Amino acid sequence: MPSKTNNGVGVQVEDTKICVVMVGLPARGKSYIAQLAQRYLQWLSIPAATFNVGNYRRHDAPQPTADFFDFSNPEGERKRRAAAEAAVADMLAWFRTGGVVGILDATNSTKERRKWVWDTCTAHGIEVLFVESKCDDEKVIMANIRDVKLTSPDYRGQDPEDAAQDFRNRIKHYEKVYKTIDADHDEDSYTYLKLMNVGKQVIINRIQDYLQSRIVYYLMNLHIRPRSVWLSRHGESLYNLSGRIGGDMLLSPRGEQYAKKLPELVRESVGDDRPLTVWTSTLKRTIATARFLPPHYNQLQWKALDELDSGVCDGLTYQEIKDRYPEDFAARDEDKYNYRYRGGESYRDVVIRLEPIIMELERSEDILIVTHQAVLRCIYAYFMKKDQAKSPWMNVPLHTLIKLTPRAYGTEEVRYEAHIPAVSTWRGKGSTAKHENPTPESL
Amino acid sequence: MDTLLTAEIAANAPRYRRRSSTFIDSIHDVSEDNDMAPAQLYSTMSGRLFHSGRITIVMVGPPARGKTHICVSMARYLQWLGVKTRIFHLGDYRRATIGPDGSLPDDYFFPDASPSSVILRQKILKKCREDIYAWLNHENGQVAIYDAVNPTASGRRSLAKEFAKHDVQTLFIESYVDDERILHDNAINVKISSPDFAGMDPEVAATMYLKRIEMRIPVFETMNEEELNYIKMINAGEKFFYNNVSFGYLSHRIVFYLTNLHIKSRTTFFARAGTTTEEDSYKADADLSEQGRFYAQRMSETLIKHREQERLELIAKGGPDTPQRPLSIWTSTRLRTIQTADYLKEKGYKVRQRSQMSQINPGVCEKMSERVIRQIYPEEVEKHGLDPYHHRYPRAESYHDLAVRLEPIILELEREQSDLLIIAHESVLRVLFAYLMHCSTMDIPNLKFPRDEIIEIIPAAYQNEAKRIRIPGLDPKLLPGSPDDIRIPGSRPLSRPESGQMSPIPGGLGSPAEPLERPSSEKVINTAKDMVADKIHDEI
Repeated sequence: MPSKTNNGVGVQVEDTKICVVMVGLPARGKSYIAQLAQRYLQWLSIPAATFNVGNYRRHDAPQPTADFFDFSNPEGERKRRAAAEAAVADMLAWFRTGGVVGILDATNSTKERRKWVWDTCTAHGIEVLFVESKCDDEKVIMANIRDVKLTSPDYRGQDPEDAAQDFRNRIKHYEKVYKTIDADHDEDSYTYLKLMNVGKQVIINRIQDYLQSRIVYYLMNLHIRPRSVWLSRHGESLYNLSGRIGGDMLLSPRGEQYAKKLPELVRESVGDDRPLTVWTSTLKRTIATARFLPPHYNQLQWKALDELDSGVCDGLTYQEIKDRYPEDFAARDEDKYNYRYRGGESYRDVVIRLEPIIMELERSEDILIVTHQAVLRCIYAYFMKKDQAKSPWMNVPLHTLIKLTPRAYGTEEVRYEAHIPAVSTWRGKGSTAKHENPTPESL
Repeated sequence: MDTLLTAEIAANAPRYRRRSSTFIDSIHDVSEDNDMAPAQLYSTMSGRLFHSGRITIVMVGPPARGKTHICVSMARYLQWLGVKTRIFHLGDYRRATIGPDGSLPDDYFFPDASPSSVILRQKILKKCREDIYAWLNHENGQVAIYDAVNPTASGRRSLAKEFAKHDVQTLFIESYVDDERILHDNAINVKISSPDFAGMDPEVAATMYLKRIEMRIPVFETMNEEELNYIKMINAGEKFFYNNVSFGYLSHRIVFYLTNLHIKSRTTFFARAGTTTEEDSYKADADLSEQGRFYAQRMSETLIKHREQERLELIAKGGPDTPQRPLSIWTSTRLRTIQTADYLKEKGYKVRQRSQMSQINPGVCEKMSERVIRQIYPEEVEKHGLDPYHHRYPRAESYHDLAVRLEPIILELEREQSDLLIIAHESVLRVLFAYLMHCSTMDIPNLKFPRDEIIEIIPAAYQNEAKRIRIPGLDPKLLPGSPDDIRIPGSRPLSRPESGQMSPIPGGLGSPAEPLERPSSEKVINTAKDMVADKIHDEI
């Protein structure tokens, strides 16, 4: 079924608008999936936003009991419908301001509701991708109820046992009307992804363009096994000492100390003997930093983890850049994320080349990445949802190990300091100082 | 194991061929080296990647379901990623067993076949399986693609059991088609070149052919086996059902690839960017020169004319009078490529910039002469000579790095449905060409794309075809030189004397011999079509 934007002319991301419509009973991880998809797309500079119908409903009914969700309760039905309409109206308004992927996070559990969403979006030239999470594994559902729903604003301040019971009753009401997508073979014209029992079975129907296939692929690679990602910059380098950027220098004596300390720091953070996989860049300073890690840690070098290429400015100090390329210096401070060094890269370029790394990270378990300031900012921004205007200015101190652990709602961060002094490589807007102390808002 | 068997089969298989020209798609070659993995991310002692062991991908589906297209495309992509992949067509084994003059008994595919047919079937199957095991166990193969009909559930179950006994995982891929239009188109596209249908109306021939399949393969059970890992691809990618019992990343990757695959035929063109005002600097990112703009115009005019000519030729041959297929243009984010597309952009063609398509980064060797490089980096020169594909000079990118960053482009290339013109630096063209034509990593750094040619790549289910289109009226001064041509010492010449017969192109594609000798015929001889016809003929 060719869509309006895909009439054989080839699709460009910029003229595609997609509404990702979540489908499924409560406690099936819909919000988790929605949140990750939004984070991934935003990180790739694809404007994405989530519209959670529950949040709209709470305006009208802040802490409803399960009866509210009984489909024979006309009052509840009316309010829930009004909430869905408000969410979709806001989403359409957001698309008009340049949104590309809008995620409608709700149960959308009936055929009628799905048809209404599809009709509404299609009338506005927006493609619809239904993403259903279907699960009948009791263990997964119970874990979800415990972890997520009991922290939900719907049950704030209530007894956990009562809340769990009420929530199970709410699910029962939904079960009465719930129809999985295309159960009756009359929804086959929709584009949809159906994930059953955390990816044990998957149905992919009528993918229309590359961006949709990318989202589907990303969602298929998500897993819920517990794991962490460790990030570290290389040890202090000789160029760090002299305030020069880029280059391929070895470590300073203090940088060497950090390299020697790193195995201990990692062991302390991991807590047990399980081996990590170590990814470094291809530059000397990261390889040198990782070289004392235990030999049974598997090590891989990735060109994609090399530092942002500063082109003609490679090996210069900021003062020298300002003297030789005053316009470039100013332009970079103006829009650091998009500024591309002459003959080099921008932060945006780095994010694009890191995309396969993120995909690998999502599918992997415990990984330690030893890389560079700009690259680390980009990876960190992905996990911590930092926005593009701020992430290039973020302070990432040397000689510090960062542990990130993905959780249902957001990523948990712990920092381990090596307590080995190092220069600061952070730089404020407009500054040409060789070393300066970061301001509080850059942390 | 009996490796002689493989040789015998190979020698009997009509499609076996040693590649002798990079202008012939070598996806079906039996490669003896490890040089066929342009975008391999890392390597392991066993040679197997992605935390996966040995896998057999078992194809399921009657003829005319596009299995060949899927097998070949998948093998191309997996090998590109560095997964050692090989296709085993059961049809080849049937041919080799029966001999050139023999024919299959009529009940060969019947579930209640006569004892002699069952014995024949088992004999053929056994040979093929033995070769698969030999390859997986003794030649470090990772993925064997087993291309056969595999019509029954019981047969598939025992196949999975049998492979499991040998510590090989199975992933079934069924191509299921119930859309009559797709079946017909498939049948028309490849099958009617068989002599049996010569001179017949294509529609009639297709119907007859499909009927024949039904008669020969009366029982076919679509996959529904809960305990098996399988991907069911429905109506050429309209829908996928993916039953994942125990599989991980590699199968996700395959699904992702398949969701981007389509069966429409479209052409890819490659062209170089024009010359710039600061030709030998990588970092400068200079504008096009006067000459460069002239080139851009000439190239564009040639391409437009060529496409129109091809359309008219098709109509003259009795094809339908359809409007020109749409054409998209991709450039890198480097100014020279963007500006080379300007002429076409003004004509209303859609141009898209892709940052991943920037040329290979020459690193510190930029602007250095070969003599200087040898003086400063003698050790690097030596290393480069040993492995010009993977070696990187200080701060530079290797071709391997370039291939890895081009991977998303490869998927979009598969997805694109319009004709596509890629304007990029020679280094990028080399790698993309290598994907489409399956070139060895030893050849990639030496592929030549002279500026006075547009390369056209025409896809086909069985193998792709490459053509050169001459751009007339260019100043010879335009031809040589671009920053990625920096004479990096140590590159090996392309011609590989061990590769058997002589290239149909004098000097091969790799020889920059000036003046450039061109073959009298623009089209490279390619016998793929006859080969497919032959395969079809005895399949049914």
